[in-house]
Amino acid sequence: MTSPTSFAIERKVFEEHREKWFRSNPGKYVAIQGDVVASGFFDTYAEALRAGLREFDVSRGFLVRQVRLAEQVYVVS
Amino acid sequence: MARVNLHWDPSNPDDPGPCIDVIVSNSADVIEAGRAIGLEYPEPRKMTALLDTGASVTVISKVFANHCKLFQTNEGSEITAIGAQHHCWEHAGAISFPGTGLRAFDPIRIVSAVFVKERYYAILIGRDILRNWIITFDARHKRVTIED
Repeated sequence: MTSPTSFAIERKVFEEHREKWFRSNPGKYVAIQGDVVASGFFDTYAEALRAGLREFDVSRGFLVRQVRLAEQVYVVS
Repeated sequence: MARVNLHWDPSNPDDPGPCIDVIVSNSADVIEAGRAIGLEYPEPRKMTALLDTGASVTVISKVFANHCKLFQTNEGSEITAIGAQHHCWEHAGAISFPGTGLRAFDPIRIVSAVFVKERYYAILIGRDILRNWIITFDARHKRVTIED
């Protein structure tokens, strides 16, 4: 079980790399825990999740993000 | 291929829309990895879901996400609903449809948000799931049919 987290460090790491990653791997997914980035870019959320589960401490959450220039905003209408 | 009929009376203002029973849990991958280091997870939880073509992604009530202890993979993303912005979280979950034969989705990213005074359903089944189905609506017979 993981407790809710803000992923402050992970989000900072993502922001620091966002533009560079977007140039090289647009639309791919990455997994980040703390300041550690799972090895590789992934085609799907599921693949990035599995990479994180292999490489990270699963007693706490890790960030899975798609490499996009703009933030994802979901819509419910 | 499975085929499921749901009742929906669009002329009844108290009918929230086409609803289906679902079972939500953590992703099997998360449970396997967690149990390997001694973590425990709650039993899967059956709840009611609304088929919502207006939802771009599947959204679960934050209360139920917490109850299911869904593994968190993001925080701080946003949902726009009727022009308002809502804070949301993201989780790696699994959704199945008991008694229907419909294919389960595992893992699937599930967004959680605060549902205000919602008494009919705990989940919105969004287009990330709906796009996998053939859905027909027979208004005369108040029936929605799902095929996968």
